[in-house]
Amino acid sequence: MTVKDHSSADDQTLVRASQRGDMAAFEELVARHRDRVYARAYGMMRNEEEAIDLSQEAWVKGWQRLRQFHGESSFGTWMTRIIINLCLDQLRKHKRQRAESIEAMEEESGGVERQMPVITVNPTAGLERSELRQRIDQALGQLSYEHRMSLVLHEFEGMEYKEIAKTMGCSIGTVMSRLFYARRKLAALLADLKNRNSV
Amino acid sequence: MDYKAQLKLQALLDGELPEGEASAVTKWVAEDCEAAALLEELRNTRGALAEFEAEVRLPESREFFWSKVEREIQRLETPAPKPARESYWALVRRFLVPASAVAVVLLAGLMLIRPAGSTGRSVATDIETALADSGAFTYRDYSAGTTLVWLSYPADNEVVDSDEMDTFE
Amino acid sequence: MRAKLIPPTGLLWLTTALALLAGGGLRTQAADVKFQAFLLWGTDNSKPPEGKAYQPAAADVLQKLKELPIKWTNWFEVRRKDFAVAQDKVTEVAMSEKCQVNVKKLGDSDIEVSLIGKGKEVMKRKQSLPKGEMLVLGGNAPNSTAWLVVLKRIE
Repeated sequence: MTVKDHSSADDQTLVRASQRGDMAAFEELVARHRDRVYARAYGMMRNEEEAIDLSQEAWVKGWQRLRQFHGESSFGTWMTRIIINLCLDQLRKHKRQRAESIEAMEEESGGVERQMPVITVNPTAGLERSELRQRIDQALGQLSYEHRMSLVLHEFEGMEYKEIAKTMGCSIGTVMSRLFYARRKLAALLADLKNRNSV
Repeated sequence: MDYKAQLKLQALLDGELPEGEASAVTKWVAEDCEAAALLEELRNTRGALAEFEAEVRLPESREFFWSKVEREIQRLETPAPKPARESYWALVRRFLVPASAVAVVLLAGLMLIRPAGSTGRSVATDIETALADSGAFTYRDYSAGTTLVWLSYPADNEVVDSDEMDTFE
Repeated sequence: MRAKLIPPTGLLWLTTALALLAGGGLRTQAADVKFQAFLLWGTDNSKPPEGKAYQPAAADVLQKLKELPIKWTNWFEVRRKDFAVAQDKVTEVAMSEKCQVNVKKLGDSDIEVSLIGKGKEVMKRKQSLPKGEMLVLGGNAPNSTAWLVVLKRIE
């Protein structure tokens, strides 16, 4: 039996074939989009093992729900929505998750980001890509899950404030506050890392 | 620059402002160095993040990762085998053994709940929390045996006075 | 593995043993229960405020606090009190000038805890607190710090 070569087919063709039960076509889709799905999971979970497990679960769910995909978005976007929801569910169960009321209190009573001095020097200028990636990775790891989530959904998933609010179950105002806090904190962390490394 | 203004700068960067407002904020940024600097900082952060995700790769080979996904799909799609029919005596035994165990436990329970010499009052094991603070929440870590009750009063609350900020006593 | 029915004589021995245990349990129910209460201050700073010689919180308490969804990384002990509570009696424990915790023993491991802040009851809670377990009551304090009243049952 000859195995069909799916490597030159477009996503739409592969999706249709997968919907008819063609596992090889689905395998090609997995190969094409696995890094993106994993990157989203890793951005949210900050743990390689968990991100891999959740990615795997997302692909299994993707296979099971293929018939529900009608091309309203790209297949890659559809898959990242699945992984985002899985990660959100996992984070809610997670012990490291901080309760909404404490986070809200921190933002209300803190307001650190409003008073922080503006970082005028681009902390990423002159860095090698791998070094930049490492610094951002480190800085993202220091954000809380709500702040990191807002950043991931906006910057990597391209979601609007309204969509993020719906996904995270909070108000648009809260999304704006979290995003602002996350960006300012990230800028300060990157600047701090740059200063420490240059000493 | 107040907080609302700072958020407007962010919204401008994110394309979330209506056209009229976007023009007004853009004009303000052109005239205000502080606003321009903050916008630049936000822009730099966004630029840094744009580079970041492109580098993230799933750290397992294509074949290995797929084999796990495929195995799980097949496991979920394979119906579970039906159990073989049990003999009559096996069914009776299956019922009698747990039934005797339940009878023993009930007997033991009755003896523990009503010990001789006590007032006979059974102890409430329901958890009840009455809070003056409706925003409070409770968290339970069963494995560690720890319960957290977090009150949501602002920092100068009934328990800790803001005047005692330094002493906390 | 073949399941076996318990023979009648075995059942009799088992219930006798359980009856003896129940009798032993009676004696422990009447005894006082011992607790430790801590007033802790939480901060992201590695040192307590100047002029205050607070020690870091006890290691076993810190370990359990780390598992809770609260963000502060450093906890300092402001006050520690050891006390006992008799059956159906309330023990009042002053943790600070403005903070008091009242503990009442309801049963074997059940207690009722009231937190009093500046003379007002802010919380009352009934729950089971077996030996070795902790009840942690907390809230925000000024300057992005936090306070905790930790009640640990030690006997």
